Amino acid sequence: MGSQIQPEEEDEVSELLAVVLDTSFNSALIKEKNVGQLLDAVVIFSNAHLMNSSKNTLAVVACHPHTAKMIYPVKKDSIQNIRPPDAQMEILAHATQVIRDGIKEVVTSWQGVYSIEPLLTGGMALALCYIAKRMANTVGKLNGRILVLSSSGESAHQYLNFMNVFFAAQRKAIVVDSCVIQNDCGLLQQGADITGGNYLKAPSIAGLLEYLLWVFLPPKSLRAKLVLPKPDVVDYRTACFCHRNLIEVGYVCSVCLSIFCQFAPICSTCQTHFKFIGFKQSMVKKKEQKSLQAPLL
Amino acid sequence: MADEDEQQDGYRWESEYERTWEAIREDESGNLQASVQEIVHKTRRQQLLLQKNVRLGMMRHLYVVLDLSASMNSNDLRPSRIQCVLHLLDDFVDRFYDENPISQLAIIATCNKRAEKISDLSGNPLKHKEGLAKIKDRLPTGEPSLQNSINMAAAVLQHMPAHSSREVVIILGSLTTCDPTDINETIEEAKKLGLRCSVIGLAAEVYVCRRLTEITGGSYHIVVDEDHLRELLANHLLPPPALNNIECSMVKMGFPFHKNEQEDTPALCQCHLEAAATESVHITTGGFLCPQCKSKYCELPAECRICGLTLVSAPHLARSYHHLFPLDNFKETHLLKGDTRTCFSCQSSVEGQNMYTCEKCKEEFCLDCDIFIHATLHLCPGCACKPQMN
Repeated sequence: MGSQIQPEEEDEVSELLAVVLDTSFNSALIKEKNVGQLLDAVVIFSNAHLMNSSKNTLAVVACHPHTAKMIYPVKKDSIQNIRPPDAQMEILAHATQVIRDGIKEVVTSWQGVYSIEPLLTGGMALALCYIAKRMANTVGKLNGRILVLSSSGESAHQYLNFMNVFFAAQRKAIVVDSCVIQNDCGLLQQGADITGGNYLKAPSIAGLLEYLLWVFLPPKSLRAKLVLPKPDVVDYRTACFCHRNLIEVGYVCSVCLSIFCQFAPICSTCQTHFKFIGFKQSMVKKKEQKSLQAPLL
Repeated sequence: MADEDEQQDGYRWESEYERTWEAIREDESGNLQASVQEIVHKTRRQQLLLQKNVRLGMMRHLYVVLDLSASMNSNDLRPSRIQCVLHLLDDFVDRFYDENPISQLAIIATCNKRAEKISDLSGNPLKHKEGLAKIKDRLPTGEPSLQNSINMAAAVLQHMPAHSSREVVIILGSLTTCDPTDINETIEEAKKLGLRCSVIGLAAEVYVCRRLTEITGGSYHIVVDEDHLRELLANHLLPPPALNNIECSMVKMGFPFHKNEQEDTPALCQCHLEAAATESVHITTGGFLCPQCKSKYCELPAECRICGLTLVSAPHLARSYHHLFPLDNFKETHLLKGDTRTCFSCQSSVEGQNMYTCEKCKEEFCLDCDIFIHATLHLCPGCACKPQMN
């Protein structure tokens, strides 16, 4: 890989990878006892990134239903005296241990049910802030990217947060990659499309590590030279605010831009003043009286 | 600093001598950047405080009127007024669509007592950039005409839907205007149509511009230097507060599905239909199909030429949401010496500087993160990390 880029370019650019890991594994994963395999893949992948270049750095954020927490790098170096087994690099042994401990701490501190969405956006926001700070403080070029690993499927409730994160990443030229396991997530797919990252649904856990190393390890500059899986067409249709139906034609409130699947005299998102003006003017003018009479009576 | 100035009545030269340089301090690495950033940030925070709870005109139709009269040859801005303005406008066009994805922009030039259309109202930045590139080679001549320019903009803007915000931004280098009839009538007309006219003057204040902006509710500023001009243009990037008489309504919009390249038959898209008559244009498979009439477009946002439906994609709308639901300002606390805290988001330790606390989740952030969160992210990481806040 190194031969593809100019030597001086390689010297200047450092890569910061932030792995945002969804630790609320879905029930299928737990039932098939695949969680260990998944975590191993994440740790090995993280180590592979650190090994690529001495300038590469890593951040790992764990997202759980009750919190999102940065688990690597840790502030207090209480676990400094980790002895690397055999001939392993110290930094790798350290990363492995810290990530494992961090995940354990996050997972065991939660006693609730797993059906609640994990706080992916919180984790991504943390990762973005960390990358932005590092970018500002680094002399020379620092490429930041985020890899989201999730198995919990759609999380429509955090739509606005997701979009804010993606647009912020786009402005800072931070690539957001997503690797989903078993359940597709349309929002992460949109995010990858907006920020120019890759989106992949890993078909099996057994092959997860291979997919990670193939699709997500190479930095942005190298990806154009690789044969990567073709992206699917991104579904940008939207869900209406009122019934959460996917719609092709909808009505948008001119004040707050909420989307509705049918004409309504009152916008449920923005407050009172809209209701009255909408009632007086658009109702009478637009000959929508038939549809309006029902809720009024 | 800004608030002190505003509180003092009377003239600036009557007030005490300001030691502005003392506000700028070096950080530990000898850098001035952080200190300058802090000042910039303070002004931004002030703006946010003022903006609260104001209804904004999100769907904007903005005409930029560019003076191309002989006065634009003057080189008090480097290299010349016109080159400087064109350079900044180029940047403005890009950022405008970034901030206002469902809005439209058009450019008018005025010279030789006439107004001339450079680009039509559209949601496509490329057309404006082409138009601006063409002006670059022209030598500004003659006198500008305010009235002709406003009339030209009004002729189009008056047909725009009532719920959209109609704006004209005039960049004027000349101190005179040559108009066919009484301009006061035009100003009244503009007011009636709800046109918000703002003027950025490159020379000196002119009464007619002051009157125009005051009556139509716009802003009037005179440029000090290039940076100031950039700042003044940037003020027009954010959506303005809506006028009182603006009508609210439900706008019908289409969210087209992107057709796959394999499953579609090759066809010309509506946006390149006219160009196809004169030059060779690729016939493409794939594209966005209007959900109502199935005509094809190669990019969004667009207005369907066949059925008139506004076609957008959901992220276009979402990009505007941060104007509508702005993040509250964080509370500022100054840390005492020896009091070390950790920034919630970037994990760096802060000592002897200001910390910013989110009032909702009570998490603390450092200055850099506060700037990033409010200027770019528009999402509080602390709140996003707490399930009850979502």
